[in-house]
Amino acid sequence: MMPPVLAETEETRDGNLFNMHPYRLLWRFFRYARPYRGWVATALTLLPVAALLQLWQPLLIQQAVDHHLLPGRAEGFGAILLLFLLLILGQFAVGYLQSAVNTLLGQRLVRDMRRELFAHLLRMDAAFFAHNASGRLTNRISNDTEAVSQMISAGMINLLGDLLLLLGIAVSMVLLSPRLSLVTLVALPIIVLGTLYITRRMRTIQRKGRLLQARMAGHLTEEVEGRETIRLFHSQAKNRATYDGMNRAYLETALQANFFEAFQFSFIDATSTVVIALLFWYGGFLYGDAGISIGVVVAFIDYIRRLFFPIREISGKFTTMQSAITALERIFALLDTAPGIVDHEPVQVLRPPVKGAIAFRQLHFRYGSEPVLQGIELHIAPGERIAVVGPTGAGKSSLIKLLNRTYEPQQGMIAIDGVDIRRLPLAQLRRLVGMVQQETFLFAGSVAENIHLGDPEITPERVRQAAEETGAMAFIASLPQGLATPLAERGVNLSAGQRQLLGITRVLAFQPRILVMDEATSSVDTLSERLIQEAVERLMAGRTSLIIAHRLSTILHADRIIVLSGGRIAEQGSHTSLLAHDGLYARLYALQFAEGREQAVDGVG
Amino acid sequence: MSESPRRTPPLRWRLRHILPYYRQNLWAFVLGFLLLVATSATAALIPYLMKLATEALTHRGTNDTLQETVLILILVALLNAILRIRSRTHIFAIGRQVEYALRKAYHAKLLSLDAAFFNRSKTGDLVARGNTDVLAVRMFIGPGFLQVANTAMVYAVTLPVMIALNPTLTFLALLPFPIILGLTRLLTTRLYRLSRAVADRFGLFSGFVQEAVAGMAVIRAHAREEDWQRRFADEVQEIYSAQMRHTRLQSLFGPLVLLAGGAGIWIILLVGGQEVMTGHLTVGDFVAFSGYLAILVWPTVGFGWILTVLQRGLAALERISQVLDTEPFALLPGEQGHALPKVTLARGEIRVRGLHFAHNEPILHGIDLQLPAGSFVGLAGRIGCGKTTLLHCLARLYAVPEGTVWLDGQDLLSVPEEALRQTVALAQQESFLFSTTIRENMTLGSPNASEAEIWEAARMACFDEEICRFPDQLDTLVGERGITLSGGQRQRLSLARALLMDPAVLLLDDIFSSVDARTEARILDNIHALADSRRRTIILVCHRTAALHRAEAIYLLEKGRIAAQGTHAELMRNAPLYQSLHQQMIRHEALESLQ
Repeated sequence: MMPPVLAETEETRDGNLFNMHPYRLLWRFFRYARPYRGWVATALTLLPVAALLQLWQPLLIQQAVDHHLLPGRAEGFGAILLLFLLLILGQFAVGYLQSAVNTLLGQRLVRDMRRELFAHLLRMDAAFFAHNASGRLTNRISNDTEAVSQMISAGMINLLGDLLLLLGIAVSMVLLSPRLSLVTLVALPIIVLGTLYITRRMRTIQRKGRLLQARMAGHLTEEVEGRETIRLFHSQAKNRATYDGMNRAYLETALQANFFEAFQFSFIDATSTVVIALLFWYGGFLYGDAGISIGVVVAFIDYIRRLFFPIREISGKFTTMQSAITALERIFALLDTAPGIVDHEPVQVLRPPVKGAIAFRQLHFRYGSEPVLQGIELHIAPGERIAVVGPTGAGKSSLIKLLNRTYEPQQGMIAIDGVDIRRLPLAQLRRLVGMVQQETFLFAGSVAENIHLGDPEITPERVRQAAEETGAMAFIASLPQGLATPLAERGVNLSAGQRQLLGITRVLAFQPRILVMDEATSSVDTLSERLIQEAVERLMAGRTSLIIAHRLSTILHADRIIVLSGGRIAEQGSHTSLLAHDGLYARLYALQFAEGREQAVDGVG
Repeated sequence: MSESPRRTPPLRWRLRHILPYYRQNLWAFVLGFLLLVATSATAALIPYLMKLATEALTHRGTNDTLQETVLILILVALLNAILRIRSRTHIFAIGRQVEYALRKAYHAKLLSLDAAFFNRSKTGDLVARGNTDVLAVRMFIGPGFLQVANTAMVYAVTLPVMIALNPTLTFLALLPFPIILGLTRLLTTRLYRLSRAVADRFGLFSGFVQEAVAGMAVIRAHAREEDWQRRFADEVQEIYSAQMRHTRLQSLFGPLVLLAGGAGIWIILLVGGQEVMTGHLTVGDFVAFSGYLAILVWPTVGFGWILTVLQRGLAALERISQVLDTEPFALLPGEQGHALPKVTLARGEIRVRGLHFAHNEPILHGIDLQLPAGSFVGLAGRIGCGKTTLLHCLARLYAVPEGTVWLDGQDLLSVPEEALRQTVALAQQESFLFSTTIRENMTLGSPNASEAEIWEAARMACFDEEICRFPDQLDTLVGERGITLSGGQRQRLSLARALLMDPAVLLLDDIFSSVDARTEARILDNIHALADSRRRTIILVCHRTAALHRAEAIYLLEKGRIAAQGTHAELMRNAPLYQSLHQQMIRHEALESLQ
């Protein structure tokens, strides 16, 4: 059964156009089956058993007709009946096992593959996510893997089974009567070619239908999302016409599909009847000679009825395989993308207590081809509070993102307590450097979960304490279930100020040695503003901190102010000395901070 | 599906939205039914002819009869195939036609519904109703009818023939069938529930991945990778378990059908075999019986399956009916059948009297405005003061109370929708762009605009030069929500779209937020020129007070009230809030230009 089509995806849009060594892809895929060798062996062993159970039945009927029914001999007939009963029961059991084992195998391989894909994503860096839409990555892990599982559970193994069955039927027929087999042989090309033609046509039509379905769904989604615009511009009539065009095209495709579906169904039925009729006709000539008996004719009728099923199935399975292989291609391409930021050997673990001295040495950083930072030389003493200011595009946020290796500089290095941060294990570095972003990303989960992020070291007590210290507890307590209150998608039920407080609380709970922060510019009310200010001060206490300042209080509390301009440090020093210098800082201060309190409340254009 | 204890409404009512289609297609259904009768009759002939052929083969020397039978067999087989194709395509086509009509009706309904409806619905759910549910209803009408009629016909034709051949054998051979029917019914209902569980799990799983990818920066910044890997593993395990629960039952289905057929043959062999040996039955009868059994297996299984399809179809129809039964809220008396005076609105005079408006919380408190046709006014104020809400009220995106807003002297509520849209155009800060060409997006409200008019609107929005640089110019595709355009380009495209409407009232809501200062100045010049022509009433909402210099009047909004009004110079003299906004803008611009 095909999954419902709700939006255009790579599959519905491009169909299956793979051009990258399908055999190599398959070979690589087989490695995932290695842990399940036992199950693979079971599935393969069941194939000949199932074929045998099917092929034996017509033979038994032939024996029954020729040796018992016609001569009227009852002895031995009981044995045949018993055997036949065993065969159909066996067929039932084996059929069930086959289906169950194949699905199990497919689902297990996909389970492993999904875990590997996700683990891989967790290792990728920010630059990777900037270039890959989240929808596409989600598609890889959910839909593409599902296609691969289909290949196992419905495709590959059954394909072997169908081929085996076809071969078995052919061999049995030839063994029973080579001459009667000739009749079937004559009909075979018609059957195979006819079936192939129809399934091919069906496939094209079905794909077109799925694409139209996807388009209609996409259209509907857009209309629901853009309903206000449609109303404003009164374009309902036009939208109806567009949708009607697709709907009508879909109807036409569907009617075509109907015809071929009905044709396929009847073609197989009619052809098998015609072949059986020819069998009677030819049998009439041969009757008595060459071992043609009524039983043989009856058995042949049975075989012919069974012949069509695998032929029809095989071509369908090739389609499944094809889409699975394109999915595999996309999956492997993702797995082959190497993470840009990894631990550098030899890894050096910083022994506690970490003092938190930071040194930027001749740091150059480009984003794409654009130079962002050029020759930053900066030494920060343990516990020092640094405020970074500068005009838009000066490289402020790049500076702090390099510190926790969100990005990697092209030249120069950063050291913490004298150790190159590339030599630190990433996990340690990121626990050491706490980062408060402008926007606090909130996961669907409780408030507490969004503070401790699932770290078992952060006890409920510590969560509570952190929330109280930052003052976030005041609003958390007013929520219906306090810390256990579930947050709606992306925390939409919280105000901007509350989200910022939660972000600060989160970092405080992780107790980093070094604090980096990009102060939010978004407007919050006066009360939240004061709360955030106090929370930031508490967070900075006893930590080396590097803060992109947007608030007056932050620059006033800083030990040193760094003025960035055009990727270089233009000025640095204390607030008073910089003001006295009357340079860029003095101008910035006058514009951005001097009347800052009011401005921070209002926000800017 | 468990039946709820409450009384289910009568079937007639549940089918209210598709009954008309049944009536329309009554004769088509009758014809389809007749075709099915013919198909079943020819199908039932085939095993009988095989019996004759087998018997002819047994009594040698009657080669003529054999050849005749063979010929008839071939002809009947072909006739049957043609009839079957005809009947199936005919009946399925009815389902498809109804699917088309239902989808069309659903879509038209969605377009007519308003914000109140959409605010309580999820996009994904509405799309699913238009797609998956319509599909389920089609299955109800096409294959549903076919299967029920087919099963009835096959039994009606085949059973008498079988009974005529041998009643006892018929009875015994059909023994497994009721069991099959019951089991299929049981299996499909259960399977439906289990596959829903798998689909739901899959949805949760996709959501999980989506969220993880979106929050990846946070996960990495706090080194929480291991925890997420573990949670992911749990999610994957959940899917696996759900899938396997489904498979354990699903795997029974195919083998069970085969078993039913096999058991029937076995019974024929067991009972019929004795009769053949004693000479009460011929081998031909034996062949015929196994043929009839083969004919009966699938319709029986299909019948068990179709009951589930019918049930699902009814449930899907219910979900679609919910939408089809929804009426737009009392926004437009004009669309409730009242005869409205057919006025041509053209001047664009706006009057607002004591407008209060609340959306969850009160936003506007007693707004009064009097804008003569052709005036050019500005709205200023801090974020959240109600500027955008006021524009939305004027554009009737929100339902204002009766007797608060008048357009050319006519109560806004009584203006017919089409006339209103041709008179009032609103360019929003974030306007929705459809994933089609620039041209299509621009002509959304004016499909008959000429090429020259389109370019003129683009020029006024300062978007023409960029359009020229695109490879396909006006026919360039803009991608989902206009993703291939920059924020500024999207904003100017939206502006051009509103300008192209050539409206008497032009509402411009913060249209410069993503546009650079130079372009802003050029657009502003064009808007001023437009204002000078006095053919339009223009209301400009802007954070940059500089853009309002030329407005005849500026209304300063504060917390939903008009705090002050006057020209730029007047407000600069005596409105502290306005001065502060102005200072803020100056500072901001200076900061922007600092390097």
